[in-house]
Amino acid sequence: ILDEKDLEEPLWDLQIALLESDIALTVAEAITEEVKSELVGSRRKIGKDTTDIVEQALRNALYNVMSANIFDLDDYVRNARKPVHMVFVGINGTGKTTSIAKTAKRFKDMGYSVVLAAGDTFRAGAIDQLQIHGDRVGVKVIRHQEGGDPAAVVYDAIQYAKAHRADIVLSDTAGRMHTNLNLMEQLKKVCRVSTPDLIIFVDEAVAGNDAVERAAQFNEAVPINGSILTKTDADAKGGAAISIAYITGKPILFLGMGQGYDDLQKFDPKWFVDQIFE
Amino acid sequence: MVMEKLGGSLQDALKKLVKSGRIDEHTVNEVVKDIQRAMLQADVNVKLVMTMSNHIKERAMKEDVPSGMNPREHVIRIVYQELINIIGKGTDIPLKPQKIMMIGLQGSGKTTTTSKLARYFQRKGLRPAVICADTFRPGAYQQLKTLCGKLNVTFYGEEGNPDAVGIVERGLKEVEKYDVIIIDTAGRHSLEKDLIEEMEQIHAIAHPDYKLLVLDGAIGQQASEQARAFNDSIGISGVVISKLDGTAKGGGAISAVSETNSSIAFIGVGETPEDLEKFESDRFISKLLGM
Ligand SMILES: Nc1nc2c(ncn2[C@@H]2O[C@H](COP(=O)(O)OP(=O)(O)OP(=O)(O)O)[C@@H](O)[C@H]2O)c(=O)[nH]1
Ligand SMILES: Nc1nc2c(ncn2[C@@H]2O[C@H](COP(=O)(O)OP(=O)(O)OP(=O)(O)O)[C@@H](O)[C@H]2O)c(=O)[nH]1
Ligand SMILES: [K+]
Ligand SMILES: [Mg+2]
Ligand SMILES: [Mg+2]
Repeated sequence: ILDEKDLEEPLWDLQIALLESDIALTVAEAITEEVKSELVGSRRKIGKDTTDIVEQALRNALYNVMSANIFDLDDYVRNARKPVHMVFVGINGTGKTTSIAKTAKRFKDMGYSVVLAAGDTFRAGAIDQLQIHGDRVGVKVIRHQEGGDPAAVVYDAIQYAKAHRADIVLSDTAGRMHTNLNLMEQLKKVCRVSTPDLIIFVDEAVAGNDAVERAAQFNEAVPINGSILTKTDADAKGGAAISIAYITGKPILFLGMGQGYDDLQKFDPKWFVDQIFE
Repeated sequence: MVMEKLGGSLQDALKKLVKSGRIDEHTVNEVVKDIQRAMLQADVNVKLVMTMSNHIKERAMKEDVPSGMNPREHVIRIVYQELINIIGKGTDIPLKPQKIMMIGLQGSGKTTTTSKLARYFQRKGLRPAVICADTFRPGAYQQLKTLCGKLNVTFYGEEGNPDAVGIVERGLKEVEKYDVIIIDTAGRHSLEKDLIEEMEQIHAIAHPDYKLLVLDGAIGQQASEQARAFNDSIGISGVVISKLDGTAKGGGAISAVSETNSSIAFIGVGETPEDLEKFESDRFISKLLGM
């Protein structure tokens, strides 16, 4: 029978490994705590190493976090009333605009017609950036002037999509700090006015502990439906995905794996958990 | 600001010492554990945290409490020294004619910081000029051009030309007569060989006086490794920590500095050209430790 003392060392070692994979401390602690309470008092099969038992239990726990509420975006889009409207949100520089271009390319390749809304009217060059992506991928971009009202751009894009029987509208928004109340209010307004079908939170694999904080606060401000984790090519472990999924209870939809348009991979929980333990 | 935030949790840990009043192993262990948690939550490199906390523990137990100091002050002094050992003094970028090259991961804040630095030197009476050597990210040219336009800062770039090295070569001639020349480069990471090579070529042409690595304040455990790669490639003279206006604590930057033996020059605390602060480690650590 396993008691707390047997588990202490293997659990600590695994917790360090989780931290080194960039899983936030609070999340790593919560998950190892769950594993501990599950294992304490359980019977150890003869010949089985405690470390292996603990690792297996932790793998299962992580898999459960990552596969909770999973939903298939492709099924969703296939069955939803058109145009399907998705808004991309997140803090500054995580990869929202690039992920929109990749997502547009992906859906276009699947035969859908896609419209982009240049809803970042704030950051210098943001509209041009989306326009260049749109031109390269071959999808229409609806844009206003820098400094314009983001909600109005998004509204126009939806009207355009309806008029042209487009299938999908992907709306870009300015990056913002979750602590910036004004900007978070503005984001709520955009989402309220345009009633998106899906709100997608974009964060990056290189982020550390802060991933938890901002995922929680974005999810609270504009309930998100799922996340994209970018820049996994820079950080193969990408434990931030676990922090985000754990705190929001929402699935990771895609991983961004580079700066090319095809560098977008559907999220696979099992593959991902294996990566963490590699 | 980094230190203030890291400080909140450290202050809590140190309160335990005050309450206990004297140094015994049990108390030290507890306090060091709290310090460990605080640093891990601030994204300080896991191995660095373990090494540092062992040092602190050892020293707190071994070294005599200097006369006139209470146990609390004793441990504060040790934590302070260990931190200052790593962070050093901030990098001081002198107010004189020079070339500065901005480098870092994708989206870390290089372009924004470029405009902030131009503004900083402009305010100090030096004439800045900016060169856009990011030919990779769509819209990079327009972004930097717009930012410079708003500040009335001279801008050199070649829209649509993918040859970053050539642009830098021509740009340097074009803006020769300016005091401070800041070169913005594309985002890249250690595994992107072509881009790392491009950075080396730009470096070889530009001979910058300073190479500033811009790190996102929220960067996690990758910070040390990425910083090492940039340092191995062209050497870094200082770090700018961006996006510290949110809840990120900037421990990744501390790890990067430790890994590369460099130090922190500035911190970014917002999106406008004014949101740049000089990093002063003494002030920050003192504040952190309540001295
Ligand atoms: N290596 C790598 N770079 C990426 C990835 N996704 C985005 N990037 C890069 O990250 C940088 C920032 O990407 P953007 O799409 O502009 O990010 P954003 O969230 O829209 O930024 P703001 O609008 O300024 O908040 C760009 O240089 C992108 O090319 C990825 O999966 N891998
Ligand atoms: N809140 C906040 N945002 C910042 C700060 N510094 C930069 N940003 C934002 O972060 C995002 C990325 O900044 P950029 O300057 O484009 O980053 P970059 O490193 O040049 O990006 P690439 O060229 O794509 O590699 C933009 O939305 C900036 O406005 C900061 O200190 N605080
Ligand atoms: K970042
Ligand atoms: Mg964007
Ligand atoms: Mg840039």
